Amino acid sequence: MPTPRSLRRQNPITFVLAGILCIGFFLFFFSSSGDDTPAGAGTRQTKDTASNVLSPPSLPFRKSKSNAPAAAPPVVHYHLNNLTTSRTPIENSETVLILTPLVRFYQEYWDNLLKLNYPHELISLGFIIPKTKEGNAAYSALQAQVTKTQSGPKNKRFASVTILRQDTESPLQSQSEAERHKMENQKVRRAAMAKARNSLLFTTMGPTTSWVMWLDADIIEFPPTLIQDLAAYDVPIIAPNCFQRFYNNDEKSMDIRPYDYNNWIDSLTAKEMAAKMGKDDILLEGYAEMATYRSLMTKMYDSTADPGAKVELDGVGGATLLVKAEVHRDGAMFPAFPFYHLIETEGFAKMANRLSHKSYGLPNYLVYHYNE
Amino acid sequence: MHRHAYSNGHAAYPSLGGSGTFSIQPHNAWHHDANFRCCCRFQPRSQPALRRRRQLIQRLLLGGTLFCLFFFFFFPDMRPNLGSGPLSYFASTEDSQLETVRYYDLNNVQGTARGWEREERILLCAPLRDASPHLDMFFNHLKNLTYPHNLIDLAFLVGDSKDDTIEKLTRKLGELQADPEPKQQFGEISIMEKDFGQKVDQDVESRHGFAAQAGRRKSMAQARNWLLSAALRPTHSWVYWRDVDVETAPFTILEDLMRHNKDVIVPNVWRPLPDWLGGEQPYDLNSWQESETALALADTLDEDAVIVEGYAEYATWRPHLAYLRDPYGDPDMEMEIDGVGGVSILAKAKVFRSGVHFPAFSFEKHAETEGFGKMAKRMKFSVVGLPHYTIWHLYEPSVDDIRHMEEMEKERKSKEAEEKAKKERMDKIKDQFDSKSSEWEKDKNEIHNLVQNAKKEAEQSKKEADSPKKEPEAPKKDAEQSKQENPTPAQIHDARGEDEKKPAEPKQ
Repeated sequence: MPTPRSLRRQNPITFVLAGILCIGFFLFFFSSSGDDTPAGAGTRQTKDTASNVLSPPSLPFRKSKSNAPAAAPPVVHYHLNNLTTSRTPIENSETVLILTPLVRFYQEYWDNLLKLNYPHELISLGFIIPKTKEGNAAYSALQAQVTKTQSGPKNKRFASVTILRQDTESPLQSQSEAERHKMENQKVRRAAMAKARNSLLFTTMGPTTSWVMWLDADIIEFPPTLIQDLAAYDVPIIAPNCFQRFYNNDEKSMDIRPYDYNNWIDSLTAKEMAAKMGKDDILLEGYAEMATYRSLMTKMYDSTADPGAKVELDGVGGATLLVKAEVHRDGAMFPAFPFYHLIETEGFAKMANRLSHKSYGLPNYLVYHYNE
Repeated sequence: MHRHAYSNGHAAYPSLGGSGTFSIQPHNAWHHDANFRCCCRFQPRSQPALRRRRQLIQRLLLGGTLFCLFFFFFFPDMRPNLGSGPLSYFASTEDSQLETVRYYDLNNVQGTARGWEREERILLCAPLRDASPHLDMFFNHLKNLTYPHNLIDLAFLVGDSKDDTIEKLTRKLGELQADPEPKQQFGEISIMEKDFGQKVDQDVESRHGFAAQAGRRKSMAQARNWLLSAALRPTHSWVYWRDVDVETAPFTILEDLMRHNKDVIVPNVWRPLPDWLGGEQPYDLNSWQESETALALADTLDEDAVIVEGYAEYATWRPHLAYLRDPYGDPDMEMEIDGVGGVSILAKAKVFRSGVHFPAFSFEKHAETEGFGKMAKRMKFSVVGLPHYTIWHLYEPSVDDIRHMEEMEKERKSKEAEEKAKKERMDKIKDQFDSKSSEWEKDKNEIHNLVQNAKKEAEQSKKEADSPKKEPEAPKKDAEQSKQENPTPAQIHDARGEDEKKPAEPKQ
């Protein structure tokens, strides 16, 4: 390039521009990224960062220099008394742990997750994936997306992501819809599912977690304000109504139909059936041969009614569920054995109830399940 | 461009040496061409147009760069990630050093019999409350553990403490981690502070009173669950629960219990006692085997009732681990149990991961550690106790014991006082008896005298004429006799306890 001549010829504006460029360059590389985030968020970030690899997985941690000798892990205080779960979670910087037992990865699920407008630095993700062929595929798909997101734009990054792998104890031949829902398979399947949920929950819930959000991987459509909307009710356990979109052949148009039958209010019939059952038998919902006459939340959906209506439930499903962390901390888990003739998420609602935590549902607030 | 130079023949300057000069040469030549519009062989076409275009491109580039700079300056979230290349050292170091994604395989942390060889991590949990006096002892135990310390993570839950437990704990843990010997340093250490607002006092009396048991056990269970759920990590293979007030335990306890490779395992827990209480005593009665009686009893109770072991109110006739101890028995002997005590539990982490916890509600009529055992059994985990492997709980005199000791002291005093009183009473009785006998004696004497007198009178009357002067002598003799047979109280007192001498005494 003919530099000497261009120096002579260029007008002063070029120098000014070059100067700005240099300054901009320095600013670009050296300015700390915390400048633009609110002061509160900045301090929170530093507070909620672990300094050692031995730390709760719900927190990011700072890598130590590889050549420096590893220092002794520090003594860390956690003030669980100051942990709040309020109806204004963003204002109180309450952390949310989103837990997903993953068998198949759906891109729509991940896209919606990214669209959540709850501050992402307050969200930790936890996944548990079985060690099966299907699980391996889901694992690599998830890994690709996680890597992309966690190295992408800062405000889209989540505070931390934990991915667990585990052998399933009773590997069913297929996760296909028909196979999965066969009645005789249900008890075994749901017991394995309950164990997976518990493994995920008890290893990822850290001392700073305020809320636990259970979100199944096949929930492919939910509003970006999901967390705030559910937290605003300020109840221990709350579930939206889970529906499914399908092509209605009769009306030749897209339509919706109920999907998750595990959100219900108990009935006298069901109680009588339970009383007659053996210790290890379980009641299941949604099977004609076992008519329980419970009031199902899916049947309460009314598009014209108040979208904020809330009902108290006796059994909940795990498709989408917001739980205050203290419910789980008190010991409410997903029983992998018949607990009052209930298992997994339904048993969870019962156990929470025994610990005096009530469950609620929102019949007119919809999330959508994948249609297989 | 250099090729231009060579073809122009200017390359014939090898003697100039300096490459700088060499590189300038062709430029000059080229500029020369451009400025004076000489007709050279490689003249670029249409110079002003080219220059204008170049300037335009330069300006566009400059503008674009500036725009990007401003854009990234004001929207830092849109900045591209530079990865971990050499540039990232100049970029915000904080950001790239932050690790946010963790991968774990839970199949690697199932727990095996020889965990120390496979570097299996243990989570040691200790719920604390007003435990300051026991901490020194507890930390000595910690330091002496033979299991590799870096594989042990410590988690404490301090709640509703009114003493300086937190300060002391923090200080002691700081000292522990500051140990210059890296092998002495432990792994992750967390202190959870959480008050549950318990109103029950932690002293031995209220702790073990029957009425307080159910409520106390439930809130204790709650504390244990809060601790575990906040401290369990995907890296843990084992969880060890240990009370701080264990006085004596083998240093190898972790390995000893681990070797059995059971899902849940507890040792026998006794406590030493002062001699007057028998020297030693079974302490933890919560490790037991289920009995038919207890199952039948459970059926009669309502949903929220909690059976607590070791109280007369619920006679369960269960075989207790504690009572089966034989000091000379095989320490490796195992016994299947259903309820477990919480003083020292080693469990595989997978038990807790699968959801087994300490029920803070009535689970099959049990709560806390007993309910934990029941729930583990319900989920088909093995629950085992070692009847002949014993650890010793600290002996704190319970309020009962203190009361008992006070009573013993009182008893001793009252016994003394009683004996004194008895002595006095005996003396009194003897006094009274003696005086009575003396009276009787007197009476006898009197009667005797009377008889004698009568005889004498009769004789006198007979011998009235013979010897009338003998009469006044007799009463004097009587008095002397009675004096001899009635010793003074002082004399009796001296004679007490010397029964052999007693009969002799009057003779002296």
